[in-house]
Amino acid sequence: MQQLDVVIIGAGPAGLAAAIQCRENDLDVVVLDEFPKVGGRLLGQLHQEPSGEWWNGIEESKALQTKAESLNTDIRLGYSVYHIEKLEKQFVVHTKQQKFVTNNVLIATGAAESPAPIPGWTLPGVMSIGAAQVMTNVHRVKVGEKGIVVGVNVLSAAIARELQLAGVDLHSMALPTRNVVSEDQANPRLVMERLSRIAHLAPSKFIQFGSRFAKWKWVQDLVVQYYPKNGIKMWGMPIYLNKAIKQINGTDKVESVTMVDVTMHGDIIGNSEEEIPVDFVCIAGGLYPLAELAGVVGCPFIYSEELGGHVPVHNEKMETPVAGIYVAGNITGIESSKVAREQGKVAGLAIVIKEKNTSEITGKLQTAISEVKATRDAASIQFHPHIPEGRAKVSAAYDDLVKAQEVEKELEYV
Amino acid sequence: MKDTIVCRCEEVTLQELEETARKYNSSARELKLLTRAGMGFCGGRTCRQAVDKVLTDITGEDPTNELPLKVAPPVRPLSLTDLGGLAKDE
Repeated sequence: MQQLDVVIIGAGPAGLAAAIQCRENDLDVVVLDEFPKVGGRLLGQLHQEPSGEWWNGIEESKALQTKAESLNTDIRLGYSVYHIEKLEKQFVVHTKQQKFVTNNVLIATGAAESPAPIPGWTLPGVMSIGAAQVMTNVHRVKVGEKGIVVGVNVLSAAIARELQLAGVDLHSMALPTRNVVSEDQANPRLVMERLSRIAHLAPSKFIQFGSRFAKWKWVQDLVVQYYPKNGIKMWGMPIYLNKAIKQINGTDKVESVTMVDVTMHGDIIGNSEEEIPVDFVCIAGGLYPLAELAGVVGCPFIYSEELGGHVPVHNEKMETPVAGIYVAGNITGIESSKVAREQGKVAGLAIVIKEKNTSEITGKLQTAISEVKATRDAASIQFHPHIPEGRAKVSAAYDDLVKAQEVEKELEYV
Repeated sequence: MKDTIVCRCEEVTLQELEETARKYNSSARELKLLTRAGMGFCGGRTCRQAVDKVLTDITGEDPTNELPLKVAPPVRPLSLTDLGGLAKDE
């Protein structure tokens, strides 16, 4: 069986950027993705930057794909990796179609959506906001005649706008009612705080909407307390932080939702039920790093709320403490696709240096590492203000683990 | 009010998870085994985060660095034929 230099899992911005670096340095590379198209979540992205420029994910994806293809990169689509097996020095990457033996693996699997379960969410016609995005922007399928978005956050606002641009009618955006799982998305005060320091991921109108209340906590309190009964309109669509969806109704499919008024702490106000006819519902519970493959291959994890959950421990070169396993993109923390692309470049260069045993491109690697930081800092408003703290925590954990490994090795010799 | 299903594959409700976790003072793994939450067709890819949150809430503990539920292969649904490599000639 052919032995590869690297298998890259995920053909999104991180995976493709890494593949380009590896191919430019003549490594044997296979890129795997379970989706039938190249680009990952880039494919869904279409929004206006604070500068006024449009970010068109499909164009960005095409540019990366063209470059990768010009370097004869072996990209396999429709390949789902279900296991990474660790041998003594190599890895076996298992897919339904084929096994790949490789010296290195870059896990660039991105993020997944957190559920925000509410009664009735298993009815046909209920989907995650990301699913609505893929159907609309990738498959060009209209998800329904009239819908509602449950969950107000950067991602859901950006996608709601995309649905609008595609001619899909939305009643409004509202919160889920509070339960243990949805708490984070159901508390108007928390939602407002997050909106007030919204990311570059968000469309510019939404940034204006959030940052209007950004500076003072007491202003945010007042805003939540005196939130206009008819919501704040964005592109003609009301956003309610004072209304929540209590349940989704229907026999065989979505027919309506039950909306209630909530206090600034998310408590339901009695006798405020209102039934709103809709034929689809998008649930937006936020994103978390999709790291299951790092889990099966034995990467240690660290929990960082700032980065969106459990992330594999790694250093600035995107190496994990499991030699030969690299990570890049949203698996390392929820950030924009631009950061993911820069991280992919770093991972690609780090793998080249390891495989070629060369220091020729060390300078290039250092530049790429600074580019990641510059791209992060250039974001006009951070997705989460504490991302750098989260990143520092992960790096510190890496150093600690590597030190511990060295001590262990030394003890073996004693 | 209707029940809130958390694990869709095994149809485990939020109420059931909370009651079980309280009654048996369970760990994440025990809660999974007692209720089958996360053990259906999708392998917990939909409800993993939700089950974690139920536990964090009940135990009042901050999330630890360990993954609350161990990840085991296969991480994607797979037929036994494919697992056995019989789907095609090698």
